Amino acid sequence: MKKRYFLLFLLPAFLAVFFTLPGDRADGAAQKAGVSCSSCHADLKAVVSKTHPPVTGNNLAACLQCHAPDMGGEAKKNPFSVRIHTGHIPPKGSLDCLTCHTWTPGRSFGLIGVKGSWGAPTGEDMDLLKEIYGTLAKEEFTARLHADKGVACASCHGKALPKPDDTVENARCLTCHGPLEKLAKKTEPKDFPDRNPHKSHLGEIACTVCHKAHGPSKVYCLDCHTKFQMKIPGQAK
Amino acid sequence: MIKKLPAKWDETWDVVIVGSGFAGLAAAAEAAGKGAKVVVLEKMPTYGGNSIINGGVYAAWDSKYHYRQKLNLGDDSPRQHVEDTLKGGDFYNIPELVQIMADGAADALNWMIDEGGARVRETVTRAGGHTAYRTHSAVAGVGREYTEALRKIAEKRGAKTALNSEVTWIWRKDADPKSPVLGVQVKRGRRTLNIKAAKALILASGGFSRDIKMRMAHNPRLVPAFGCTNQPGATGEMIRFAQAIGADTLQMNFIQLYPFAEPETSILDTPAVYPFNGPGYGIVYVNKLGKRFVNELERRDVCAFAQINLGANMKPTWSIFNRAMVLKMGGSYEEVDAGLKKGRFIQADSIREMAGKLGIPADALVKTIEDHNRYIEQGKDPDFNKSITKVMIPLVEGPFYSVAQWPAVHHCMGGVRISPTAQVIDVFGAVIPKLYAAGEVAGGVHGSNRLGSNAIPDAVSFGRVAGTNAARERA
Ligand SMILES: Cc1cc2nc3c(=O)[nH]c(=O)nc-3n(C[C@H](O)[C@H](O)[C@H](O)COP(=O)(O)OP(=O)(O)OC[C@H]3O[C@@H](n4cnc5c(N)ncnc54)[C@H](O)[C@@H]3O)c2cc1C
Repeated sequence: MKKRYFLLFLLPAFLAVFFTLPGDRADGAAQKAGVSCSSCHADLKAVVSKTHPPVTGNNLAACLQCHAPDMGGEAKKNPFSVRIHTGHIPPKGSLDCLTCHTWTPGRSFGLIGVKGSWGAPTGEDMDLLKEIYGTLAKEEFTARLHADKGVACASCHGKALPKPDDTVENARCLTCHGPLEKLAKKTEPKDFPDRNPHKSHLGEIACTVCHKAHGPSKVYCLDCHTKFQMKIPGQAK
Repeated sequence: MIKKLPAKWDETWDVVIVGSGFAGLAAAAEAAGKGAKVVVLEKMPTYGGNSIINGGVYAAWDSKYHYRQKLNLGDDSPRQHVEDTLKGGDFYNIPELVQIMADGAADALNWMIDEGGARVRETVTRAGGHTAYRTHSAVAGVGREYTEALRKIAEKRGAKTALNSEVTWIWRKDADPKSPVLGVQVKRGRRTLNIKAAKALILASGGFSRDIKMRMAHNPRLVPAFGCTNQPGATGEMIRFAQAIGADTLQMNFIQLYPFAEPETSILDTPAVYPFNGPGYGIVYVNKLGKRFVNELERRDVCAFAQINLGANMKPTWSIFNRAMVLKMGGSYEEVDAGLKKGRFIQADSIREMAGKLGIPADALVKTIEDHNRYIEQGKDPDFNKSITKVMIPLVEGPFYSVAQWPAVHHCMGGVRISPTAQVIDVFGAVIPKLYAAGEVAGGVHGSNRLGSNAIPDAVSFGRVAGTNAARERA
């Protein structure tokens, strides 16, 4: 039961802007009053692209008429949730999660001006989400590199809210980056074909051994092969 | 240090195994085959430990292919294997344990071939300290050949592996000598959890060559300046936890150097296996002066310290061989070509040219090789008293190859004390209920010096014993 709740909670959560949580972690006065997009964006038309159909309304509910939250959990590009989050949290924006979301710890979670609650995240859950969303701000991290290309959280993590020690399976990465043989061909060094990180002598290892989404990526090979020259996207700057 | 037992268990398995190398996977396969619910816990993000990066050479008196017999390479028997191993270990070995390794070796190899699809090359070599041609080479050229085979068998039988799962404590009920081990504490990502081992816990956590503190506590001359061939996770915490709950250890000071690692990084790559596989076919080791410095058929400790004792600025030394030896010594021309491209192997058409390429005195090297060729012909090595055999090849015909080499910390012969049933023994000499150990974490099989290619048969044979017995424990 609890898990289902999470599941419901997660996807709309991508719509959330979780940046800085207020100390009291409860519905604040500002939320009750409701926040409309137009309080910052006087002209919503100026924010969306030229080809965007006309926007009717001045809050998130208006967006949701067409942009369904990514409920499918499939890997897909350019979903609304990523675009709206990256636009509002650091470094581009500086909004607090609760600018758009309603939250009663352990009881409900939703969007201001939109009916219904999508789950019951605890304070701990929110801390984790906040931390994870925070990594989107690090422009060198893989999570951000994906977000910039419009790849949403659910594209990697699927429907369920990731648990603290969760990981992403290779098959998931390979839906976009695969098949593995093709990927390996792409990264085959010209000088020494057998020094191919995607064709390791350690067998078929997890992508996440080197590629970290929410932290600096690191070439595992270099732990032993200290003289190799190898780079990886998403490494610490 | 008082630690309170966990109030509840996050997971329960029949058999919990620490470490995903040869020993852990073999144990997992056997325990799961007996119907036990098995999990292998591995702290690293990849499986296989030192096993998957190892050189893939495997000592067994026989195999289903009978290469030694077919290639007319002389006699052998488990008994001869035991005798060599005891002699190579200066008789510090526990004979009952050596017997289990030698008896289990051929059967374990056939098991990995038949059930796991492991493949071996069509030859056997005679390696340092062995009196018979009994060392088999993996087709993959690395231990992955066997770890993949074992993983396949274990998975087929239902065993599970959990990576990124570091064991941080062993739970034993209390200090009573009859009190059983209950489970382990595990760090997995951000979480710490407690895992119950209903039937038994098996330590298969490998050696501690990368644990400089533990290494120097027992063998102070192995200072940090020594490189190491091992994977970064080869540290001794499991031995410490075992000690903390009463386990006895033995021979922790016996730590082996691999004499032929890559001199700069200490990696034991494919070319670094050639010097080890070559002596039975006439490979020659030379130093910067162009001179031999040891009987190439000597044990690893002798070969290693013969180099270290050459004195300051004598790093590296080289192995010299020729094309005619390559396949016989378990090598392949593809490997040689790849090694040449990387600059690991150096090729020359004459010994004089080789000396030039290595920057060592040509006259001296030519004389050394000519002398050695004559020794092979005459069947006698007056310089180092090497026992010459008729399959040794004189270095007359090129192309010639060389590979640079230097010793690096490699293998821990000591570890926790086990019984022939692979049960861990406590400091008073009694078995610790429900605790087993197998592979490099256990001591006593190899005495003061492990013979090369004996670690795989050791780890697989004892892993099988531990897994079989663990599954028989009462939950
Ligand atoms: C480079 C190299 C080449 C070699 N070549 C040969 C060869 O050709 N032939 C031969 O016979 N021998 C060879 N050896 C020796 C042999 O490979 C090892 O002795 C053997 O692999 C040991 O197997 P094992 O299963 O006991 O341990 P390992 O294979 O080392 O497995 C132990 C595992 O336990 C894990 N572990 C440790 N502590 C914990 C913890 N606290 N929690 C969770 N997991 C833990 C480790 O990360 C590791 O993965 C070689 C060794 C090396 C390093």
